[in-house]
Amino acid sequence: MGWRSGAEPLGVPPRHTNHSRQMLTKKGKYGLKALTHLAALPPGDLAFVGEVARANNIPKKFLDAILAELRNAGFVYSRKGKAGGYCLARPPEEIKIGHVVRVLDGPLAPIPCASKTRYQPCDDCEEATCRVRHLMLDVRNAIAEVLDNTSLAEMRDAGGPEKLVEEEPIRA
Amino acid sequence: MSAPNQRHSVAIVGGGATGVLLAAHLLRNEEADIRVTLIEREGSFGRGLAYSAVQRDHKVNVPSRGMSAFADDSEHFLRWLKAHGYAEGNDPWSFVARSTYGTYLADVLREADRARPGRLVVLSEEAIAVRETAAGIETRLANGTSVLSHHAVLAVGHETQPARGRGIAVRVGSARDTPLDPYARVMILGSGLSMVDAWLSLAEANHKGPILVVSRNGLLPQAHRDVPPIEIDAADVPFGTNVQYFMRWFRDLADETEETGGDWRSVVDGLRPFNQRIWQSWSEHSRRQFLLHLRPWWNIHRHRLPPDLHRRMIEAVDQGQATLIAGEFLGIAQHGDMVDATIRRRGARDEETIEVARVYDCGGVSVDVEASSNPLIRDLVATGRGRPDPLHIGLDVTEDNFVIDAAGQPSRRLLVAGPLTRGRFFEIEAIPDIRLQCARLAERLTGGQVAQARRFPSS
Repeated sequence: MGWRSGAEPLGVPPRHTNHSRQMLTKKGKYGLKALTHLAALPPGDLAFVGEVARANNIPKKFLDAILAELRNAGFVYSRKGKAGGYCLARPPEEIKIGHVVRVLDGPLAPIPCASKTRYQPCDDCEEATCRVRHLMLDVRNAIAEVLDNTSLAEMRDAGGPEKLVEEEPIRA
Repeated sequence: MSAPNQRHSVAIVGGGATGVLLAAHLLRNEEADIRVTLIEREGSFGRGLAYSAVQRDHKVNVPSRGMSAFADDSEHFLRWLKAHGYAEGNDPWSFVARSTYGTYLADVLREADRARPGRLVVLSEEAIAVRETAAGIETRLANGTSVLSHHAVLAVGHETQPARGRGIAVRVGSARDTPLDPYARVMILGSGLSMVDAWLSLAEANHKGPILVVSRNGLLPQAHRDVPPIEIDAADVPFGTNVQYFMRWFRDLADETEETGGDWRSVVDGLRPFNQRIWQSWSEHSRRQFLLHLRPWWNIHRHRLPPDLHRRMIEAVDQGQATLIAGEFLGIAQHGDMVDATIRRRGARDEETIEVARVYDCGGVSVDVEASSNPLIRDLVATGRGRPDPLHIGLDVTEDNFVIDAAGQPSRRLLVAGPLTRGRFFEIEAIPDIRLQCARLAERLTGGQVAQARRFPSS
């Protein structure tokens, strides 16, 4: 008997195809911006894709695809129709930045060879002896540590224009 | 009543595997000025529900190499086996009899006592209630006395629920599990590891009659295989997604592993160190969905059988001695010596009533603490000093294992260790996880005391 024995309770899935080629791709960055936008909405409100795209300078088609992935992973919720749009599926305090980045960009890795499940060997070095890879494996764990301990709410509140204005000392 | 003195004191309620492991970890720190009272109603230590089985075929379902009492001394159990003349000591991939493991735990406790003389008190008494006082916490015993300590830890472990079916269904090995006509037809509810235990007990009693195994999915546990876990880091694991996404990722990884000549077990085992974090990263909705739809499927892959037992079980099914039925158990009625069990097979519209000599309830050990068979747990919940976790699979505790009361306030004195914390940690059923939790708790309980002593030096 194999591991598939028994039921397929939630359907047969497509293959996971994300490959992280850099620390944070455009997709990852746009996804985080869109989520930050949604995290700033009053509770219960939904935002249209076009509105989120315009406000954050993201190509709308790209954002459509990104939000669809975030919906499949359970981070956002969408409603169709006139009163439709997107909102967060969980409170922003519960959504961790590292969790979102893994979904959009694949395993956290500073360089492609430093992933264990999505390992992509370099064609110009020997992995076992590559000291750069060893160091980068440590780096990825440090990255995960930071990103997994930062919530969307914390990122939302950490900066942005309002904050800058507030904190700017205005003295004559 | 014993009064807490300056020395830090911990009372542990429950002397099964969890209680013994916690006591051993607390006494392991030679720097810690600590006193431990271990309270066990059965009077035998290290032999809780899991490790008291006397049948020789009742095996530990984890290979010996994973069964050391101490995570940082992984050879401890193998050394003990060798020192006591067990051949399994030479084979890290052996599966020892459960009673052997119970003997080991009792020795671990004896050794802890020997190493720190005068620090451990064991009481063969039943604890019936706990009350926090200004100075500490009072554990009330059925004999009318109390134990007063700074902290109390509930380590009541795998508590069995009363069997389903209005007192007609029976728990294997309980007092009501009287000898049966060897040719009688019997029914077992549940198809997990507890069912295998029941089937083994019947096999050892030379039961020849048909055995009907009824469970929601009709799935048998898988067999262990000696394969190494895959290497995987937290940075690879998709935390915080919904269950569908996670399962897609898991299946892809298992497929890829098998395509490159690996084994799905390596993926399940490689993931194990992250299971508590995965569980905690999920929303309550996702956890609920997992329990509802995926738990049986997960359990047969995660909680596996020693290969020889698995082979015997498969043979019994192939030869028709045991029949697996996927379906729902609906009810039960006694008439004379016989029992009418009503079920509905999966996909069937009609109910079906089957006459059997006995129905064994092996429906797992998840507990509804409100209906606990343990008076202390019942009192805790009834008086609002504790509450079930949101999913009703154990007691609600903080990240640091402190009990949360009905108003949502965490206790500063009362903790829970072991399987009753599964609502928060989920993967806290087996020794490899329980020993880690005990190490962490012991470090907090003894380390906190050391830190406090430094902060407030006696003048």
